[in-house]
Amino acid sequence: MAQPDVVQTPGQAPSADRRNAGPTGYGKVGPAAFITSWRNFIFVIIALVALAYGWRVTQVDFVALVVNLPKSERIFTGLMQPDVVTRVVEATSIQAPVQVGGVAADQPSTASLPNGGTLTVSPSPVQPGAQLTIAVTEAQPNSDLTLLLVDGTNNARPIRRNEKTDASGSYTLAFPLPLSVSPGAYQVRADLSTPTGAWQPSETFLISLDKMIETIFLALMGTFFALLVSIPLSFLGARNLMGNSTAGWATYYAVRTLFNVLRSIETLILAVIMAVVVGLGPFAGVMAIVIHSIGAMGKLYSESIESIDPGPIEAITATGANRLQVVLFAVLPQVVPQFLSFTMYRWDINVRLSTVIGLVGGGGIGFILIQYINLLQWNQAATALWLIGIVVITMDYASAIIREKLV
Amino acid sequence: MLRIQNLRKVFPGGVVALNDVSLTVPDGQFLVIIGLSGSGKSTLLRCINRLVEPTSGQIWLDDVELTRLSPAQLREARKRIGMIFQQFNLVKRSSVLTNVLAGRLGSTSPFQSLIGQFPPQDYQRAYANLGRVGIPEKAAQRADTLSGGQQQRVAIARALMQEPSLMLADEPVASLDPATSHSVMKYLEEINQQDGITVLCNLHFLSLARRYATRVIALKAGEIVFDGLPTEIDETRFREIYGEDAVEVEIR
Repeated sequence: MAQPDVVQTPGQAPSADRRNAGPTGYGKVGPAAFITSWRNFIFVIIALVALAYGWRVTQVDFVALVVNLPKSERIFTGLMQPDVVTRVVEATSIQAPVQVGGVAADQPSTASLPNGGTLTVSPSPVQPGAQLTIAVTEAQPNSDLTLLLVDGTNNARPIRRNEKTDASGSYTLAFPLPLSVSPGAYQVRADLSTPTGAWQPSETFLISLDKMIETIFLALMGTFFALLVSIPLSFLGARNLMGNSTAGWATYYAVRTLFNVLRSIETLILAVIMAVVVGLGPFAGVMAIVIHSIGAMGKLYSESIESIDPGPIEAITATGANRLQVVLFAVLPQVVPQFLSFTMYRWDINVRLSTVIGLVGGGGIGFILIQYINLLQWNQAATALWLIGIVVITMDYASAIIREKLV
Repeated sequence: MLRIQNLRKVFPGGVVALNDVSLTVPDGQFLVIIGLSGSGKSTLLRCINRLVEPTSGQIWLDDVELTRLSPAQLREARKRIGMIFQQFNLVKRSSVLTNVLAGRLGSTSPFQSLIGQFPPQDYQRAYANLGRVGIPEKAAQRADTLSGGQQQRVAIARALMQEPSLMLADEPVASLDPATSHSVMKYLEEINQQDGITVLCNLHFLSLARRYATRVIALKAGEIVFDGLPTEIDETRFREIYGEDAVEVEIR
């Protein structure tokens, strides 16, 4: 801050202000002094009008933001619990026959589980409306248990769902057999599923991972094709190589304009257009990345060519070399490290872009992310989002290290 | 023989760098051009191989009028004119050998240079020229790992690859310490005396001019103010060239 030699208090009269102000106006202090200049005053008015208009057209409503914040609770809790792993479950099934109706001798029906444990159904035969007891003993503790009644035509009716065996692996159910069960030969089936304690990646995680890899390679292919086009063009868009003839200047401006136009089209819009042209899917995303990156990379490459040491160009020109040889021997060796570094950086940016390109049908992880979001599957969406975060941060870090080594 | 007639260079913006300079340099001379910074020394050298386009005037090298050549003919003519620079102008990231071989680019087909190939005899020549400037063992090193004096010797080797009849040296020792300056100047003297290459050399230090030149010209504000033997520059001449307040600094 430039401190004035005479310190003013804001309350002083404007005439005193003006008298003490130096020729540059640094004699005034504070916001009040700032507004004493007409130009500044008009600037402040314009700024206030712009902000007021902006407030109105964007419908700013901080009250709604605060009041409705609890609505997002489900989303946030979902996002904090990504669906990454599931328990490995061992499923077993056992059937014991039971006779409904009839007069055969009362003989409890039993069957053994392959990994120990028994299923006992008594009495058999059982009359409709009479008490039926189903017991599971010595099975795996804390298993999920579903009991079904299977008739002669293999038609299964649930008896109980989502039951659990106790800590010793036992479960007993006694219930009156509904009168609607017609007499005949049945099977009681017990479906047991036991967590083995091991974990495995969830299906969501595997799908997300697959799509994330697709995203990384989508960005890679986009960057690669853009590289092929933008490197030759960048030499035509470098002032120090083209600025020595009228045709050179014309080429320079044409190429730079092309770069600026391509660069200014948002990738999401390009992805929508390309999805129409080549169909939904990763290739539309690749083409969107290519078109945008040609502009962005071409500009960076051209600028790095413009910043090279002109001495070697002069020296190689002086040996009688032609333009191509000058580029090959004096320009290329100077720009290759920067080109590599920019390309790494662009790939990194393109991975980030590719994650959103999927939202509009351009393939990659965004494609499934938008589906999870539309179906309100926040845990699944969280899996994709976390994966994107991890990959982007890792690539950012890795590309920073590699770029540091290159230049 | 190099003949310069009424050479004039006006830069965009109106700065007159050279004003009606005429000069004849017989073959085999070691001509040193002295003068203050901005007196037009560098512009004069760059006009000869047309790194700077003259505004008017003619330059003849033997029977070729350099100032009239088409771009293709100019490249042909440049092959006969070697040049070294104050900042050496090596490609720093390339190897010493590649830098030296670049001196042959004018005689290499564009396709060969596209794939980075030079004829075998060029490699032999490159090693021979590196040997000549005393650094044959540096061939594989990156150019920027060499000291300033060594880099300037690589630049001389690069110029020698052209087998030039004329060597332009633009402040070749201005970035070097006194001892290194002499070693570089001695290589220029050697190619002048042994190979009969005409040398045009810009220098700051009069003492170096006295030691190496067979003829000295002095430029002041784009005009020749002195042309003669190095021994003819006395106190009075010195003040004419460098101004009243100048004091000569010796480099031994």
